[in-house]
Amino acid sequence: MKNIFTPFENVSKNTRLMIILVWVLALFGVWFASSMGDRHLFPSPQQVLQGFIELYNEGLVVHIGSSLLLCFSAIIIAILISLTFSYLSTVPVIQPVAKALSKLRYLPLTGITFYLAILISDARTMQIWVLVVFMSTYLTTSLLSMVNSIPQEEFDHARSLGCNRWEVLWEVVVKGRIDYVIDVIRQNLAIVWMMLVTVESILVAAGGLGFLIKNSDKFMNHGRIIALQIVILAVGLSIDFVLNYLRKSFFRYSKI
Amino acid sequence: MNYSSENTLLYVENLSVAYGDKTIIKDINLVEKDVIRTGEVTGQVIAVVGRSGTGKSTFFKALTGLVKPTSGKVLIADTTTENAQNDAKEVHEGDIGFVDQKYTLFRNKTVYEALLFALRNKEMPKEAKHEQIVTYLKDWGLEKAKDQYPCELSGGQRQRTAIIEQIFSSGHYMVLDEPFSGLDVGNIEDVKNAFKLITKSHEYNTIIYSTHDIELAVELADSIYVIGYPEIDGKKMTYGSIVKHFDMKEIGLAWKEFGLGHLDIVKQIKNIMLQS
Repeated sequence: MKNIFTPFENVSKNTRLMIILVWVLALFGVWFASSMGDRHLFPSPQQVLQGFIELYNEGLVVHIGSSLLLCFSAIIIAILISLTFSYLSTVPVIQPVAKALSKLRYLPLTGITFYLAILISDARTMQIWVLVVFMSTYLTTSLLSMVNSIPQEEFDHARSLGCNRWEVLWEVVVKGRIDYVIDVIRQNLAIVWMMLVTVESILVAAGGLGFLIKNSDKFMNHGRIIALQIVILAVGLSIDFVLNYLRKSFFRYSKI
Repeated sequence: MNYSSENTLLYVENLSVAYGDKTIIKDINLVEKDVIRTGEVTGQVIAVVGRSGTGKSTFFKALTGLVKPTSGKVLIADTTTENAQNDAKEVHEGDIGFVDQKYTLFRNKTVYEALLFALRNKEMPKEAKHEQIVTYLKDWGLEKAKDQYPCELSGGQRQRTAIIEQIFSSGHYMVLDEPFSGLDVGNIEDVKNAFKLITKSHEYNTIIYSTHDIELAVELADSIYVIGYPEIDGKKMTYGSIVKHFDMKEIGLAWKEFGLGHLDIVKQIKNIMLQS
């Protein structure tokens, strides 16, 4: 028992499960305690459950589908742009452009949306491109770091086998690091998912989880807000789990 | 033991490499010829020894064409032509196999896939490639590791795969940067056997390796080069160069069991290394 309070101590699987269980119970305990009485900060579990039921009846599943579709459309375009620049960053003439794209992550989203609004009239397309612009900068940053961290020995190895420079790029960077790309997407997904809800709440036309939050927010419906937060967290964690599972299943050699 | 030296297989002239203002190696000259012994196929085993930081790895990279020399040249026999005795060519990437200290392999290719990739430019039917790979895997004790990725291989298996890859790809020359570092007794024996397999399979096969284990250098090599900081006009230089060459064939110690004569050479090399 004393061990669980000692730094760097290894504990058994059962003890670890027990610790998690205690924390979950503590969380529920705090939730119940803080939602009792007339004045309370959090909605009670009953209110949240009621929120779930209301959301389900209002088409929660359709809204989740809408958010996921937006997320995947944006992520596919963003990853194509980022991969192109990151892979080509090994070519001296492209390298400054790739680095500049990565630096654009410091640009405020408001400025970007302003110009996108001038160029794009359709709300859904606007949502996708706001996310694409935002995600591309972060994805490029992570992918550039991935390319830069490949040891010189791997390039030398390919060259010693008679690979020309484009073959080295293909074998070592493109084919040799596909699993890393999936992990980069997974790691950046949290930011994307967070942004997705914001983007949807700015442009409510196409629905989605962000739209639902904005709606609930307007009417101060705490039960619905917490219920939605739980849904968003659960969907985000599920995507994270699926991507990690895919990486491990398809790439046996991947030990990231 | 009777032997004769014939065609020049490796010719290095005034080789220098500098990174910016920093000269790493300078004025390296060496000539290695095909050693002929009657009744048996004898490849060449060349050892390069020297203290850390004297430029051995840089020398190897220049030798294999992975680093462009600042000056000088590296020539090898052009064994792709009919008249290999007289044809020489400047070395390019891929002409000389290179196995680094970490036995780097493609992380996303199994042993079989890696070997098949190494054979990709060879003009031979698919079945012949498969046969060749299977034969090597059997001879080198890698049959069970055929479908394993590098992260699933032991150090010895990785090393053997890296060596076979280079044999398939580059032909007769192979450079190994510290092939014995971090290996246990069993793995060291594996590498020694690998050397034998390579040198017994073709007259032109030439292994060039570096090691910090002077005993192993003296035991296995028939030519040993000591790299150190040369002294010119009483002043020690800051770049690496060959400070001594031991021709074990000439001395009469090559291809013999390790004995007192070898021990004497070990002492001499250690002294030279400490002084340079």
